Amino acid sequence: MVFQFFKGGESTIDVVEATLVQMVLDGRDVYETAMDALFGGGRSKETKRELKTTDRGINTAQRDVRRDLMIHSSVSDTVDLPLVLAYMSTVKDAERIGDYSKNFYDLVKYGADFENAPDRDLLVDYRDRVSALLGDAAETFKDRNDDRARALIAKADGFLDEYDEQIKLQYSSTGTAADAVSRALYFRFLKRITAHVMNFLTSLVLPVDRLDYYDETKDDRA
Amino acid sequence: MPGWSRAALVVFLLYLFLVGVRLLEGGIKGVSGGAQESLFEGITNPIAALAVGVLATVLVQSSSVTTATIVALVAAGTLPLETAVPMIMGANIGTTVTNTLVSLGHARRSEEFRLAFTAATMHDFFNVLAVATILPLELAFGILSRPAAAMAEAFAGEVGGGKFDSPIKGAVKWGASHIESLLEAITDNARALGFLLLIVGLLLIFLTLTYITKNMKVLIAARIERSLNAALAKSGVIGMSVGVLITIAVQSSSITTSILIPLVASGVLLVRNAYPITLGANVGTTITALLAAFAAGTVDGLTIALVHLLFNLLGILILYPIPRIRVVPIRLAGWLAGVAVRRKWLAVAYVGAAFIALPVFVIVVS
Repeated sequence: MVFQFFKGGESTIDVVEATLVQMVLDGRDVYETAMDALFGGGRSKETKRELKTTDRGINTAQRDVRRDLMIHSSVSDTVDLPLVLAYMSTVKDAERIGDYSKNFYDLVKYGADFENAPDRDLLVDYRDRVSALLGDAAETFKDRNDDRARALIAKADGFLDEYDEQIKLQYSSTGTAADAVSRALYFRFLKRITAHVMNFLTSLVLPVDRLDYYDETKDDRA
Repeated sequence: MPGWSRAALVVFLLYLFLVGVRLLEGGIKGVSGGAQESLFEGITNPIAALAVGVLATVLVQSSSVTTATIVALVAAGTLPLETAVPMIMGANIGTTVTNTLVSLGHARRSEEFRLAFTAATMHDFFNVLAVATILPLELAFGILSRPAAAMAEAFAGEVGGGKFDSPIKGAVKWGASHIESLLEAITDNARALGFLLLIVGLLLIFLTLTYITKNMKVLIAARIERSLNAALAKSGVIGMSVGVLITIAVQSSSITTSILIPLVASGVLLVRNAYPITLGANVGTTITALLAAFAAGTVDGLTIALVHLLFNLLGILILYPIPRIRVVPIRLAGWLAGVAVRRKWLAVAYVGAAFIALPVFVIVVS
């Protein structure tokens, strides 16, 4: 351990950024595993174990990031303070992605199965666009690509309105209560994941005081 | 600033620091003999010398500056070894004021403050207990100064005359002689020149150490962070080694121990795991006096620098290996922190009393 002192290598901030990217990718793994179960895979001990293990890994990574940031701020005084504060906030969003993704498996536990649903194509379309969004967000964060982050935030912002629309539709649904509830929850969870992805990306393009407030106009802020 | 240029700057600052020690030594010699003696003749009582060490370190907020100055004073023959030994122990106590002040910043949140104040004052208690144990033994048997003198003489070897040569000494002499020539252009009065050398030497020591610490902290921040992260939940020896390495690198035990305070306060680092890092910092900080001794090039200067090292090693050997004794400074600090959490003004009063009022009182009474 003492040899850590003599080793060259990445800075703490590099390590934190790599961990944040990995947390989002792990969150996407949780998302896809839970979605596989929801779209025909059903419940299994193996899936449950896989979800639990990956989620625990994400939780551990969150604590690692917080500890790394604490050590970094103790050693580096105020040099990277805005970055430390931003990542302290961002890591929560990265963790929430995995957490909300786990909830899709809860729908399976309650009996939902979208594989043979009449609206399967619509549900799959939303499923895939969020999966792609997670991958794009991880890549954008890794590349620190501000322009792409802004474009993704704007794109995801459009998704939020669509989810709300879908949830509203469930109120007038003529199907069973179980179908309506599972779909309402499905879109609700997609909305939460999308919102956390957007918050995650705001750390690239917004100052610390405006993190998460991507939808505020200049007039709102005045 | 690119890493390589910052590293080059640190090497240059280190050289200037050693030149500063050399100038200080020359300045002390240049000032008249009577004045030199009167400066320290009142400090024959070891407790008063200890108080001088505490107070001087509190005032400059750096034990490195104090110990380097003590080495220069001893090397110049102005400060007797028997007086310098308790002074150097006092510097060890005085340096803990910095992290205690840092801990006061956590006063707003009680639990955080309790942990921060415990982490800070366990260093105080360790150093006070080490002095309480070792100083009587030193006064009675020369437990530190005898082996230190033997080691210094063995190192000096055949040169004799209480001096020794080293490549550092030669290089430093060259730089110091150039500055001396510059100052000689200002005055040809030997005593005035002595005062000038003394002031320039002190300024160089203070400024170079300040900037060495600042630059090294930036230069090796990632290494400090990695090694601290690795040492968070590790055994005592690893923690001590990390403390030694960080402190040698930044040339300041105050920096090392102050970094630990927010980590302990936030719960990232346990008090018991911060403790060995703190003790390692005590050992690491002795490098400054050793470097100064090599610049001064006298056996007595090297002896007092080795006393500093041996004192900190012996303190660890006495107070750390046995678990029941090891926990005493932590328990005392925990008790004091408990009191300070209930009455926060007592924490401020403790700093004022222990680091300023008590040393001043001891010096005045002596």
